[in-house]
Amino acid sequence: MNFFTSNKLRILGGALAVGAVALAGCGSSGGTSSSGSGKVTLVVYSAQGYDHAEVAAFQKATGIPVKLDDNSTGPLLTQIEASKNNPNWGLLWVDGTTAFAGLDVQGLLQKGYEPSVSWNSLGLQSLPKDKSWTPTGVTLMAAVVYNKTKVTDPPSTWQDLLSSKWKGDVGMNDPAQSGPTYPFIAGMMNYLGGVSQGESYFTKLKQNGLVVNSTNGPTLQALTSGRIKLALVQSSAGIGAGFGPGSDPNLTIKYLNPVTLLPSAIGIDAKAPATERKEAEEFIKYVLSPAGQKVMQSGDPYGDSLYYPVLNGVSPKPELPSLASVKTQSINPYTWGPKEATINSWFDSNILR
Amino acid sequence: MTVTTEHRGGPAPPPPAPGRRVWDNIAERTARLLAGRSVGGIIGQPIFWLLLILFILVPCASSLVLAISPRLFDQDSQWFTLTFLRQAFTGATAIAITNSLWVSGAAAGLGLAIGFPIAWLANRTTLPGRRFVMPSMWLVVLLPSWLPALGWERIVQQQGVMYRLGMDWPWVTHLIMGPFGVVLLLGLRSVPFTYLAITAGLAGLGQEFEDAARVHGASRSQTLRLIWPMLAPAIWSAVAIGFAEAISDFGVASTLALNSNFTLGTYQLYADIGNFPPSFPAASSLGLLLVAAVAIPLALQARALRGRSYQMLSGRTRQAVRRELTARGKAAVLSGMALFYVIALGVPAFGAVSTSLLTNFGSSFTFTLANYRELFHPLAGQPGQFSPLARSFAYGAIAASVTLVGAFVAAWLLAQRRQKSSRMLDFVLLAAVALPGVVFAAGYIFFYNLPMFSKIHIDLYQTQTLLVIAYIASSLPTSARVLVGAVSQLQSSLRDAARAHGAGAFTAWARGVLPVVSRPLTMAWLLTFSGIFLELPISQLLYAPNEPPASVAINDNLSTYATSFGVGMAQSVLAVAIALVVVAAVLGGYRLFAPAGWRRIGATTRG
Repeated sequence: MNFFTSNKLRILGGALAVGAVALAGCGSSGGTSSSGSGKVTLVVYSAQGYDHAEVAAFQKATGIPVKLDDNSTGPLLTQIEASKNNPNWGLLWVDGTTAFAGLDVQGLLQKGYEPSVSWNSLGLQSLPKDKSWTPTGVTLMAAVVYNKTKVTDPPSTWQDLLSSKWKGDVGMNDPAQSGPTYPFIAGMMNYLGGVSQGESYFTKLKQNGLVVNSTNGPTLQALTSGRIKLALVQSSAGIGAGFGPGSDPNLTIKYLNPVTLLPSAIGIDAKAPATERKEAEEFIKYVLSPAGQKVMQSGDPYGDSLYYPVLNGVSPKPELPSLASVKTQSINPYTWGPKEATINSWFDSNILR
Repeated sequence: MTVTTEHRGGPAPPPPAPGRRVWDNIAERTARLLAGRSVGGIIGQPIFWLLLILFILVPCASSLVLAISPRLFDQDSQWFTLTFLRQAFTGATAIAITNSLWVSGAAAGLGLAIGFPIAWLANRTTLPGRRFVMPSMWLVVLLPSWLPALGWERIVQQQGVMYRLGMDWPWVTHLIMGPFGVVLLLGLRSVPFTYLAITAGLAGLGQEFEDAARVHGASRSQTLRLIWPMLAPAIWSAVAIGFAEAISDFGVASTLALNSNFTLGTYQLYADIGNFPPSFPAASSLGLLLVAAVAIPLALQARALRGRSYQMLSGRTRQAVRRELTARGKAAVLSGMALFYVIALGVPAFGAVSTSLLTNFGSSFTFTLANYRELFHPLAGQPGQFSPLARSFAYGAIAASVTLVGAFVAAWLLAQRRQKSSRMLDFVLLAAVALPGVVFAAGYIFFYNLPMFSKIHIDLYQTQTLLVIAYIASSLPTSARVLVGAVSQLQSSLRDAARAHGAGAFTAWARGVLPVVSRPLTMAWLLTFSGIFLELPISQLLYAPNEPPASVAINDNLSTYATSFGVGMAQSVLAVAIALVVVAAVLGGYRLFAPAGWRRIGATTRG
């Protein structure tokens, strides 16, 4: 056999060459590909239910090309942390400011940008001092969801949940699997005076028969099946549970004072190219514009669109209860963010097991 | 001085002349090494090992090395530390790992105890309805592991369906919502792997062995006891893969196990990554322990198979004869099979139906099609459902086809048990299965997103190419294990006979070997396709923006709102139905278009 003229060698060599070219050439969905008109592709990492609608509207309005990585918050943050020595994202849009505080402390967020808009009181409470992220809306943690035909005398305070009247009837999510739940736990600890006071509260709640499920879906199913009578979930989840597809119209929500603000926010990658960061700023401006707010409120009508706006002149959707008699609080994400791993671990060891 | 050199066949070469240059000696040795070997034989194995290193070993190592050197990929400040490993051996983490070890062993055993009899009955007896066994096994593989857990919870939890139907059985609740339930669910997930591995092994077990035993006076049960050890490679493959799949599972760990207050190692690992900032070193430490754990079944396997040959498939292999079951036998077997299907398929179906077709988030008994209508008529601005499904279909088909080639090569290498490289390959492949998908995928980001690759314009992270490569790399170990039983049985006489009649190396393989392994290859292709179609953790971390696969879209709905949970369940049902259609099409296509001779190997005839 002639080694160098073998047909098999030619076939194999050709296949290897094609494979090598394909491998090198199929890279490149990073955020810096240019469209040829001075605009680069903006890479958006988002966990918001209206992000597809918002991105489509933004592209149409500005002509800036966008690539959307629509994922749950956990995987997005995992991607950012795993790739931080060579980031591929332009902006991050998720609920919860503790994540943004964590990214800010690591120097991963652009600081100093705040769009010129008229913030209402919810917006002003949610602004960071170093302008490293921009709030786009607020939900509340936690809303108490119940069936108004079965629960005619809902609790009035957080301490009421510890009474024997609600023994075995209260359910909440697992903070390790449900992103908004840690801010709820941190908010309770903040309200009660500290970590140990909060641990005492949740320990008593467990002794009173607390039921923990993974996320909103299983927790609200436990409510509708009668396993529990009160579900402590994100306000948008509780409101949507009362009128979305397959839902129970008898479900309603109540806020106990104080309730913790959970802002949705956008942060810009500090290491993105300057052009992409400018485009990210344009995206933020669009989201906070009247057109952008309209898309936010229609893009996910039974889910994330059920938020309280942070701007003057933008009203919440009619399904949302008024906050006139509700006391809201904010937690300092720079204080409570670093405690997340420890507190979640404590919750897993002492409340879940 | 006389120089002795190795040579392949022919007379020994004359000693080199004094003063001959070194490179002349090297050229001569190389020519002798290459003489008589095909191109595939020369460069095939090195390419295989290179690809294995690049796409399995390196990503695994990139992730696991963080357990002791977190600073390597900027995940912490220390270049070397044992802190995270020490933490993995303490407190609740140690308990979780211990739980994972014994649960995985029990699940693998349960998978074998159920899967082996089913494979034997379906392939070697006149079991009624045996044609439906194979498709049903694919269905069990296709179902995500959290779905059976969800179904069981809805049935047995307090105020669950069981109680609402008047069955007040707290002992059932206690049994299922505890370690027994976890072992049961993980064991049931191992059954298809066992079934496929044993079926592939049975394909090469000809009738002549049973006949020889019976001729010498062995009873039927004695014959079976003699025959079953011949399937040892397939059995041990099944145990090893069942153990590795169970130990890396997250679906059951995050649902049934969690709600039963019985935590497993994978839950702790996902919690380490889910906290912010994620603790990759802590997760890697746990991953390292899970990977090390697979050494247990491998050591047992090596001990059991040492010094034996299992090459029994040759040109003289006779078609096996199906045993006729008696009426009582049929009744007993059918009852057992029915119980298996109720538990393995009926309960998950209930979970899917109740949450996608019933109102009040599945709590009432009123049907609704609202969730399915949402699938086919999404709101303006919401993404459609069919692009992700079509994308996942393409990924599955491409990855399954490429995996098949690599898996066959790996299975052949694994069958050469006496070589050290085979044992190393065995461990690397099984370790890749034991490593949870999220850690495996993170390893891809750590390595393939290194700045040095961007500098030379190789940007693979967040491309479809790298995603498909990761799918192939994660599927190859399992497929190789399914094939090793069948490949172990191949005798070299099959290929030698073709070569003796003038066929080249490739033609000899295609005409002498391929037909006899065509059935196991088809099963391995379908197994890979089914595993990739709804694969989640790798998809979440590596998918290309704007091009999500189906699993990412489904998970998004399942994990956010209760109203979208039903839509997510409807998506899952639709995805499983589509994958099942593909499975049926491939199996039907094999039956219709494969040459009769191909289908004869491994088939049986009535006694």
